[in-house]
Amino acid sequence: MTQEQFMLGNEAIALGLLEAGCQVLTSYPGTPSSEILPETVKLVQAHRLETYAQWSTNEKVALDNAFAAAVAGKRAACCMKQVGLNVAADSLLSAAYIGIMGALVIISCDDPGPHSSQTEQDTRLMARLAKVPVLDPANPQEAREMARLAMQLSERYQVPVILRPGIRVCHARQNIGFGALKSVPQKASFGKDPARWAATPKFRLELHGRLNEKLDQISAHFDTLAHHNFHTLAPGRSYPLGIIAGGVPYAVVRDLLDEQKRSDVPVLKLGAPYPFPRKLADSFTAACDKVVVLEETDTLIEYLLGEREKTLGRLSGHVPRQGELVPEVIGAGLNKAFESAGLPPLTQQQDPQVQALTAGLDLAVRRPTLCPGCPHRASFYALRKGRAKTIFTSDIGCYTLGINLGGVDTCLDMGAAITMASGFYHAFAQDQVHQPIIATLGDSTFYHSGTAGLLDAVYNGARFVLVILDNEITAMTGMQPTPGLGLRADGSRGKPIPLERVVKGCGVDYLEVVDPYDIKAMQKSVKKAVAYTQTPDGGIAVIIARHPCVIAYRDRAIAVKRKVTVTEDCVACGHCRDRFECPALGIDEQSGRTGIDRQICADCGLCIQVCPKKAIVEVEQA
Amino acid sequence: MMENMNIIVSGLGGQGILFMTKILAHAALSQGCDILGAETHGMAQRGGSVISHLRIGRHQGTLIRAGSAGLLLSLDENECYRNLAFAAPGARLFVNLDRQLRPAVDAYLKDKAMTWHSAPATAIARQINAPFSTNLALMGFFAAFDNDLFGADRLRHVIDQLSPERFRQVNFKVFDAGLAYGNQLKP
Ligand SMILES: Cc1ncc(C[n+]2csc(CCOP(=O)(O)OP(=O)(O)O)c2C)c(N)n1
Ligand code: SF4
Repeated sequence: MTQEQFMLGNEAIALGLLEAGCQVLTSYPGTPSSEILPETVKLVQAHRLETYAQWSTNEKVALDNAFAAAVAGKRAACCMKQVGLNVAADSLLSAAYIGIMGALVIISCDDPGPHSSQTEQDTRLMARLAKVPVLDPANPQEAREMARLAMQLSERYQVPVILRPGIRVCHARQNIGFGALKSVPQKASFGKDPARWAATPKFRLELHGRLNEKLDQISAHFDTLAHHNFHTLAPGRSYPLGIIAGGVPYAVVRDLLDEQKRSDVPVLKLGAPYPFPRKLADSFTAACDKVVVLEETDTLIEYLLGEREKTLGRLSGHVPRQGELVPEVIGAGLNKAFESAGLPPLTQQQDPQVQALTAGLDLAVRRPTLCPGCPHRASFYALRKGRAKTIFTSDIGCYTLGINLGGVDTCLDMGAAITMASGFYHAFAQDQVHQPIIATLGDSTFYHSGTAGLLDAVYNGARFVLVILDNEITAMTGMQPTPGLGLRADGSRGKPIPLERVVKGCGVDYLEVVDPYDIKAMQKSVKKAVAYTQTPDGGIAVIIARHPCVIAYRDRAIAVKRKVTVTEDCVACGHCRDRFECPALGIDEQSGRTGIDRQICADCGLCIQVCPKKAIVEVEQA
Repeated sequence: MMENMNIIVSGLGGQGILFMTKILAHAALSQGCDILGAETHGMAQRGGSVISHLRIGRHQGTLIRAGSAGLLLSLDENECYRNLAFAAPGARLFVNLDRQLRPAVDAYLKDKAMTWHSAPATAIARQINAPFSTNLALMGFFAAFDNDLFGADRLRHVIDQLSPERFRQVNFKVFDAGLAYGNQLKP
């Protein structure tokens, strides 16, 4: 039976993986990849498949697990966001040399924009660095087909294959029909072969040679991968300009040319751009006086094309070097190229008048904020108060929004709250300066990459306060469980590993657990911890600020609901709005005092503790 | 039902934009159309601007180009203005708003032969004690004016299919209240 669904791109990828017989799937969450694993689990449960899925503690761990499964002959996959592949890069480059027995598909989701990432990096360049094939889908349906293709290619050539969907594929939706899914019977087996699986440098050279041979074969395969790599040249004709595009930009280009009936401009689509389909590309460029390249987010095709004088793109200034290639940007880029080639322009539908109009309206920019009732807000309020000179190193998660409360001075990558705190400590200590430092990071971030930095900091005698903001969930990326919870990807129980044990295991002597909802208690605890870092035989002080996320744990996060109101004692000093920064606190237009937005207030009552005039009070229960 | 239609749904994180998009998409799907959509996830969902693109017909790309949306539904006045550039000449706009449009916008819409309708969807939803269903109030309001795309009956049917059991009755009530508000405004 086929059913048709309005499917999220990530769900289409999950479907493609299972259609290809994926037996093992590992992941660490990250926008825009986070839904692939949960959607896979849903399909596995609905179709009673045997596929094993796990949330791993980080991307390297995820990749190594999937790699081992593939070495044991299974069809395995591993998904993450693009910066996650940096964490797993060491494994990736080595795995490419060694190869696998079954199949290994790595799904690394890119975020041109960036909408929800630290960088706009291009996974295709990582594929080039690691020398593994990469597929670049244009929409959910193609992503599903490419998930299957990646599995086949990987099994056939015994090499890991990367699928690189952009955010506009992951978080796009499309109507997609599918039928029944079946489990694959491949059993695990391991054929001992230390020369390959534990290769020494001498054998590595040989493996590198073999990888290069595979790449030659795959490049030839990609020359004829008609469904995903093809051009629209008419035989024997030559053109002033051709367009080369892959991934999401291809879809935009295709729509634009179709809508404006521009069949005078041929297109080469490269859905599988590396190893570079050289013959196909050469036949296309030979028929064109110039070619313009539209690819996200960096320059892979543009670098790999041979003829520099013919090529227009980022390097020639026709395409912007940063930012998402949204339809308007592509339209503008194409028109520049059309002009260079003496072609009539596309008609732009954008009306300059409307831009002036909206600019003139002076619309307030909506910045994201922590949710009303968020325990992180209470933590940052308590940390920040009276500590203007402290350096607040922080990290990546919902709590990065603590920047709105002045509680976040740095954010580099996952785990850097700790490593930068110790770096700052030693830099100042060298000059005999005692610089107060408070590091904050979330529970999931701590499990992901906190321990190595903490071991290092303890061992090397750094001194700072580390606050682990434990909301008992990975909130930012959509509420995935953490090892502290003991809940696994399929909903079954795992062994919970409390933060306390890990922290102590890292050699930390000072540990306190507080509930940030009690702001006074939290402030006291921070004060004590700071003092400890300054005593002669003190060191690193760790505070676990534990309170559940109000979105993930709607029922128990706010145990006692407190409906609040603002009394006439409010002097409109703005302390609560500026320093506590709750979106439910606004200005009452009539009275000029602080007002409560009933629509979004979570009734957490935290602001009662914040107002210096005690003007925020609980509404008397009638 | 027309062959090609681009729809923009906008508002703020938490207002239920994705559910609105889903209703429209399923209404299109039930008429045998191809659909593509693009939605906002991640950081912006924490109260920031949220926009959802829905494309009905044969397309490859998921994003709507500026100047090519025929229908814009907005749960927030400012978000409606922010996304005006998507509107095609002659587009129809439905806004959650309890007062006049800003004069400059009004003049622009008239100039471009666009039509707009506004309803106090938040107040309508609140009256029924469903303050989190502004989205369905606006959907009902839109349905009152929609004779050619989906029609109120079809939208109602899709809401029936998509609503979880415990919200179904409330969802109908809010949708119907929005619909009634719209019908009474019609000439
Ligand atoms: C290497 C890497 N992997 C994944 C992500 C995506 N990501 C951003 S924040 C976050 C985790 C947040 O969880 P937690 O630390 O518990 O903080 P919370 O959001 O719950 O406050 C993740 C996985 C990333 N930015 N970098
Ligand atoms: S989702 Fe949870 S952790 Fe994130 S801002 Fe909201 S309450 Fe805080």
